[in-house]
Amino acid sequence: MKHHYWEAPIVIYLFLGGLGGGIMCLTAIMSLIVNPGTGSLFFVPMFFALAALAIGCFFLVFELGQPLVFWRVWTTATAIIKWGATLLVIAMFGDIFWLLGYLDVLPLDWGFLGAIASVFGGGTPVFATIAGIAGFGIMVYTGVMLSTLKAHSFWATPALPVLFTISALSTACAAIALSLGIFAEPTVALLAATEEIHEIIHVVDIILVCAEVTVLLIMILSFLGAGNVTQKAVARRWVVGKTAPLFWLGMIVCGLVLPFFLYVFGADSAASTVVAPVLVLCGGLLLRYLCVYSDERAEIPGENRYYNRTADPHAEFVEHWTYGENMY
Amino acid sequence: MADKVSIYDENGELAEGVERIRTQCYFCHANCGVLAYVKDGDVIKIEGDPDYNNQGGLCCRGTSALLHVNHPARINHALKRAGEKGENKWEQIPYDQAIKEVAERLNQIKAESGAEAVASAGGTTRTDDWARRRFLNQFGTPNGFHNALLCWIPTFMAETVVAGWSPFETDLGAAKCLILWGMNPAASSLPSMHGYTDLQLAGMKIIYVDPRFSETACKADLWLPLRPGSDTALSLAMLNVIINEFLYDFEFVDQWCDGFEELREHMAPYTPEWAAPITWLDPEDIRKAARMYATTKPGCIQWGCSWDQFGPASATGSQARQLMRAITGNLEVPGGDGMPGPALNFITDEELELNELLPEEQKAKQIGSDKFKLTSWPGYTLISNNAKRTWGKTLPAEWFCEAHGPSVFKAILTGEPYQIRALICNATNPVNSYGDSKMTLAALKKVEFLVTVDYWMTPAALFSDYVFPAAGALERPTIVTHYGATDSVMGGRRAIQPKFDRHTDMSFWRMLGLACGQDPANWPWETEEEVYSYIIAPLGLPCTDWNDFVNNIRMYYPPLHQNKYVTRGGFWTPTGKIECNSTILRELGYPGMPTYLPCAENDIDNPELAEEYPIVLTTGGGFMPYHHSEHFQMQGMRYLYPDPYYSINPELAEKLGIEHGDWCWIETQRGRIKMRANVEPEVDPRVVFVPRGWWFPERDTNIDLDNPFGCLESNTNVLTSVDEWDCDPMGGSWANRGLMCKVYKCTEADHEWNAKDKTWSIPGCAKNPGISTDPEDLKHRVLRWEKIPFEAPACTKEVPEGFSWQWQNDALYQDSTQFRLDDSGWLIDPKTNEYVDAHTGWYYVAAENCLMDKATGKKYTMEREEIAELAGIRLYPGQDAPYAVPEQLTWDREKGYARLGDKPYIYNPESGWLIDPATNVYHDAYYGWAYDPTTNGLIDEETGKRYTMSYEAIEE
Amino acid sequence: MTRYAMVIDQRRCIGCHSCTVACRTWNDLPLDIIYNPVVTEGAQGKWPHVHRTYTPTLCMHCANPECVPCCPTGASQQDDDGVVWVDSKKCMACKVCVNACPYGMRDTSVLGPRLHRFVRKCTFCKDRRAEEPGSMPYCVQTCHQKARIFGDLDDPNSEVSKLVNSLHTERLFTEHGTEPQVYYIPDLGGQR
Repeated sequence: MKHHYWEAPIVIYLFLGGLGGGIMCLTAIMSLIVNPGTGSLFFVPMFFALAALAIGCFFLVFELGQPLVFWRVWTTATAIIKWGATLLVIAMFGDIFWLLGYLDVLPLDWGFLGAIASVFGGGTPVFATIAGIAGFGIMVYTGVMLSTLKAHSFWATPALPVLFTISALSTACAAIALSLGIFAEPTVALLAATEEIHEIIHVVDIILVCAEVTVLLIMILSFLGAGNVTQKAVARRWVVGKTAPLFWLGMIVCGLVLPFFLYVFGADSAASTVVAPVLVLCGGLLLRYLCVYSDERAEIPGENRYYNRTADPHAEFVEHWTYGENMY
Repeated sequence: MADKVSIYDENGELAEGVERIRTQCYFCHANCGVLAYVKDGDVIKIEGDPDYNNQGGLCCRGTSALLHVNHPARINHALKRAGEKGENKWEQIPYDQAIKEVAERLNQIKAESGAEAVASAGGTTRTDDWARRRFLNQFGTPNGFHNALLCWIPTFMAETVVAGWSPFETDLGAAKCLILWGMNPAASSLPSMHGYTDLQLAGMKIIYVDPRFSETACKADLWLPLRPGSDTALSLAMLNVIINEFLYDFEFVDQWCDGFEELREHMAPYTPEWAAPITWLDPEDIRKAARMYATTKPGCIQWGCSWDQFGPASATGSQARQLMRAITGNLEVPGGDGMPGPALNFITDEELELNELLPEEQKAKQIGSDKFKLTSWPGYTLISNNAKRTWGKTLPAEWFCEAHGPSVFKAILTGEPYQIRALICNATNPVNSYGDSKMTLAALKKVEFLVTVDYWMTPAALFSDYVFPAAGALERPTIVTHYGATDSVMGGRRAIQPKFDRHTDMSFWRMLGLACGQDPANWPWETEEEVYSYIIAPLGLPCTDWNDFVNNIRMYYPPLHQNKYVTRGGFWTPTGKIECNSTILRELGYPGMPTYLPCAENDIDNPELAEEYPIVLTTGGGFMPYHHSEHFQMQGMRYLYPDPYYSINPELAEKLGIEHGDWCWIETQRGRIKMRANVEPEVDPRVVFVPRGWWFPERDTNIDLDNPFGCLESNTNVLTSVDEWDCDPMGGSWANRGLMCKVYKCTEADHEWNAKDKTWSIPGCAKNPGISTDPEDLKHRVLRWEKIPFEAPACTKEVPEGFSWQWQNDALYQDSTQFRLDDSGWLIDPKTNEYVDAHTGWYYVAAENCLMDKATGKKYTMEREEIAELAGIRLYPGQDAPYAVPEQLTWDREKGYARLGDKPYIYNPESGWLIDPATNVYHDAYYGWAYDPTTNGLIDEETGKRYTMSYEAIEE
Repeated sequence: MTRYAMVIDQRRCIGCHSCTVACRTWNDLPLDIIYNPVVTEGAQGKWPHVHRTYTPTLCMHCANPECVPCCPTGASQQDDDGVVWVDSKKCMACKVCVNACPYGMRDTSVLGPRLHRFVRKCTFCKDRRAEEPGSMPYCVQTCHQKARIFGDLDDPNSEVSKLVNSLHTERLFTEHGTEPQVYYIPDLGGQR
C-alpha cells in the first residue's frame, strides 16, 4: 500500500453530500406527501442541505489538482462522477429555487424577500420534487461511486451503497430534528405539524439506526468471516486491529447504540432531541472516514515492503538539493 | 516533459547541431557504453549504447549521469579554506592559483621532512592513477595508496606467485561450471550477470558461495551459505578433497606442477570435517562443491572482491583457489581461466609511471612494506622482475605496490614510523571506505596539510585546506585496459569539456607536478586523449587517434589466452611451472603453501569475545543502487533507499525483540552504528549483514564535527578493524568480514538524531578513537605469522656485473632489461624470443645478419658498426661492391652503391630495381624509366613515353 | 492492428531498480512518482532453504482498463494500439482512476505547484517511441538483464508474441477482468 489517495476532504465531501441529499429527499417526502403544506418548516434544514452540498463541493474541488478543468466532467458519457456532479448541480439549483420560494419565512422585514418568494412560491412543490429526487440520487451515488472501484475490495460491495444510503437518511433525520421549524410562523397548525414531523422523524431515525447497525455489522463480520484476503485484513483492522476502538466505541457505541437508547428512552429531553441527533451526525462522519480510509488494494507480493522503504517526499535530502543553489 | 529538447527532427534523423558521442559510464568498474547526445557543448540526453557489452543497458547510476553533472552539491571551483578546519567556509580561487599554493606547501614539507612525509589516498577507479604515480615518483614519495588491498590486488599477487599471472580472463562461453565466490554480480556487475544468466539458461552450472542469500544466490544452482569470513577454510577443504579424492588432472600435475607432493602432504589436515565447524557447512556439501567443480570441466572460478576482505586469511585463500584451478587443469584451457599477462601490444600503465625515478632508499620507506610485503615494494620487486623476465613487461606499481593505507593514517596520528605531514585525497571518501572510521577521521582532522580532489564535499574535503573540483563521467574520456594487466582495450570519448573549473585528475597531477618543478619533458601530454592515443598507437589499428578509435573500433579484443604455456614451454613463474610451494612467497618470509589463519574474530578462538559479541558481522558487498559511498546525493536513487537497513534473520530478530524497520545499534569492540532492521531470512540466524557506505551528505556540516555528514552514524567501517594483527600478513587486507558483534534496539533517547543530545553519540567518538594507536601497545601483539627465515641456495655461477642470478632456475638476468643471458652469450627478449646483444641492447636480425637498435631503427654490423642505409638499401661506402653490379651500372665507391649513369637513383641488389631516394619511386635498371603501378608499365619521365614491362613502346 | 504488450522475464530480473530510475530520468518525474516499481517477494522460507522473486511492475495497459471509463473528464484514455495514457491538460486530478487501478500504477505528485497536479502514469514511453521510430520504452532499453521485452502482440513474429504464445506466462490480478497486457514468465524461485 503506497498511501491513501483520498483523504479528509473526500471524507467530508461524501458525508456532506449524503447529508444534504438526505435532507432534500426527506423534505420532499415530508412536505409533499406526508404532511403537505409544511414546507416552511423545512426552510432551515433545506438551507443546511444546500450549505452541506456547497461545502462538500468546495472540499471536492479543493482536493482537485487542476480545478479549472472541472467543467470537462460534462464531456464524458460513462463516468459515474459525471452523474454525481450532475445530480449535485440539479439538487443545489432545486434547493436554491425552493429556498427562494420560502424566503418570506425569514424574520426580516425586507420587502424584496416577499417579492422574490411570491415569484418562486408557486414552484416550490416542483422544486422540492426535483431536489428530492436529485438528493436521493446523491445519497445513493456516494456509496455507489466507491463501490464501482473494484480495485478496493472493501468498497466494491453492494452493501456499501446501502449502508451509505441508510446513513445518509439517518444523518438527515438528525439534522432535520435539530433544525425543523426554525423561523416558521408559530401558528397552531404549523406547531402541530412540527410536532407530528418530529415524531415521524424520531421513529424513522430509530428504525434507520437499527438498520444501519444491522447492515454495518453484517457487512463487517461477513468480510471478517468470508471475505477475500484484503477484505479480511480490513475487517480485522476494524474489529480487532488498529481502528477497532474507533469502530466499536466511536461508530457502534457513540454513533449508533447510544443515540438509539437516547431516542428510545430519552423522551423529550435534550438527550433525545439534541444529543442523540448530534451523535448520529458524528457517527455518519466517522463511517465515511472509516470507509474512505479502508482503501486497501490486493498487494502485489512485496509491494508494501517496497513502499514502506521509500523516502518521505519531503525528506531532508529532497528539500536540500531540489530547491538548493550550488554551494561550492 | 514539455521543455524536453528533442534530439530528432521530424524525419527521425538527428536534429541539427546534435552530436551523438560514444562515451562511457564512469560510476563503477563495468564502464558501460553510453551514447551522449550533445548540443552546444551540453549533454541533453544519454542512453545505453546498444553496440557495447551492456547492450543498451544502464543501471540506476548510469542513467543518473546528467543529474551528476549538474547536481547542486557538486564542487565546481577550487576552494581554499577560509575558516577553521571543518568550518565549511571557503574562498573560491582560480584553479591555477590553488595548484601553485599547494605545490609551494608540498615542496616546503619535502624540504623539511623529506618527500615521504607526503602521502596520497585514493579510492576505487574514478581516475587515471598512473598519473598520480608519475607525480609521486617524481616527487619522491612511496606513500601512495588506494583501497587496493581490499580489491583484487592481494589476490592478483597470490595468484601470480603460483602461476605467473592472475587468471581473470574467464572463457565462460565454453565453460560448463562457474564458481561465483564472494561476489554478487547482480548488484555489482550487471552486464556480467546478464551473461551468466544467458549461459545458465543454456545449461552452465553456477556454484555460488556467499553467506547472504543475495540477488545472485537466488538464481544459483548450488549455493554454499558459509560463515562470513570462513571462505579460506572452505577453499582449503575443497583443495583437500580434490587432492585426496584424486580429482585432479594427473597429466597436468605431472608435467606442469612443481612441489605437488609437498602440497599433498601440507593439505592433508584441511579435511572437510576440519572445515565444517569453521564454515558451518556440512562436510558433504563441501565435497559436493569440490566434486562438481573438479569433474564438471572445463570450469571457471570468478574472482570476487570479498576474497581480499577476510583479514588474516585473505591472500592464502586466493592462493588455494589458484591451486584448485591449476591442478584440475582449468588454467589456460578453452572454457577455463586464461592468464592474459601484461599487455605486450600497447603501452601499459606501468610504462607510464616512471617507477625508475623513485630512488631505492625511498622505496624502502614505504609505510607497511616491512610487514605486508606481498603488495608493497619487496614483493612487487620480486614479482615484477619475474614478470619482466617471463612476459617481458610487468604489472603497474600503482594499485599493485602501495603503502598500507590504514598504517599511513595511523602514522599521521602516532608519528610512527615517521610523521606524515601532508595527505592528498583523490576520488575517495576515506572515512567511509577505509576500515576503522573513527581512527581515519581523527587522522584527517590531525594531518597538517590536507588536499582533496572530489566531486562532492565529503568529510575529508570538509577538513581540507584545499579542495579541487574533479571532472566526472561525460566530462572525461575513459580507457579500460585494466591498467595493462590484460591486452584488450575499450573506451569512450569525452562528451563535453569539464564544466566550471573542474579538471580531470590527470590534469590535476600534471599541473601540480609542473608547479612543483617537475621536468616538463616528463609531462608531455596535456589531455587524456593524447595519452590514450599514445597508449594504443603500438596496436597499429586503422585509426588516427583516440576519438577515431572510439568512433570506429571502440572494443579491441585479441583472441582468448589459451594453452600459451604449452606453446611457450612453461608457466610464467621463476621455475617455469605451477609453483605449489611458491618460491617468491618463501623468499619474502611467508609459507609457500596455503596455510590457514583463522578469521580475525571468531567464536572458536575467542570464546570470551563471543560471549559479549555473539553475532557474526558481515559488511557484505555493494548493494544497488549505491556504489561504495557514492551516489547518496542522487535523489532518484536515494528515494528508493533513503535509510540504512541491515539484514537480520527473523529467528534472531524475534529473540532480540526486533521488528522490521526498528532502528538498532550494531556494536563491535570498536564502536557502534545504527541502522534499521530488515527482518528477512537472507542471512543465517547467527549473522547480521550490515551494508557499507552510509553517510548523509545532505546534513548540515557544522552540527557535529565529531560526526560530519553523519559519517560515523551508520558507517559499517566504524565496526571493522585495521589493526595490523587483524590484517593479512601477506597482502595487508584488513578485516571487514566475520567480525563479532552484538545488536540491540535503539532506545527512545537515541532514536531521533539531535545535535544537542549527546546521549545518542557514538561511544569513543572521533576525538578519542576506538583503536589503539599507542606503539607501546603494539609490542604486545605480534603478527599472525612470524616471518619464516629464507635463504636462497648459494650461487654456483660467476655473475657478471650488471647481472643477477635467479636461484630457482639457475639463470642469469640482466638487471636493466631483465633479459635472460643465454649460454650462447646473447640475451633473450622474452616478449619475442629474439636474441639481443648483451653490450648494446641491439636486436639480432637474422635475415640480414645484422643488429638493430629498436629505439632508433638504425642497423649495425655484427661488429657493432653502424650500417649506412638510403631508401632502405644498405650502403657500403668506401668499399668494393659486395655484390655483382650489372654491367650497365656504375659502382660509386665513395657513396657505396651502384647507380645508372648520373641519375640520382640507388640500385637495390635484392630486387634488381633502382630507387629514387627522394620519391621512393622504382626505376628500371636499364633505362631508368619509372615504374607506374597503376598501369603496370614504365614511363620515360623525360619524354613522357610509356613502355610495357618488356620495354616495348606503347602507342597512344 | 497493433497491440502493444510487455513480457517480463522474472528468471532474469535481479531487482536492481535500474528501470525505475531510468524511467524517472526519461520522464522527468517528480521524486514521489514511480511508474515501474520492482517489488521483491521474500526472501522467505526457513534458512537456508529460502527463495525470493523479483516482480517488476508498470501500468498493465489492460485490454479492459478500469481507469479509462471511470475518468470524468476524458483525460484518461486508451489508444488503438492499447496504450493507456492521461492527457495532463484534461486531467483535474480527482483520482478516481488512481483508485480504480487494481495495480496502483497511477498517482499524482505532492511535490511542485499545488494547482498543477495531474495523474501520471506509464505510457509505454509513447513520446519516446514517437520521437525515435523503432525505439523501445526506456525501461526496456535500460534493462541490463533484458528482463523486460516490449512489442506488438498482434505481430506473430514479434518476440513478445512468440514468448506469450510459447511459454507459460502469468498475469497479475486477472480476477478483475481487466485483461492486463503485461505477461510474466515466472521464476521458480530458490536454487535451480
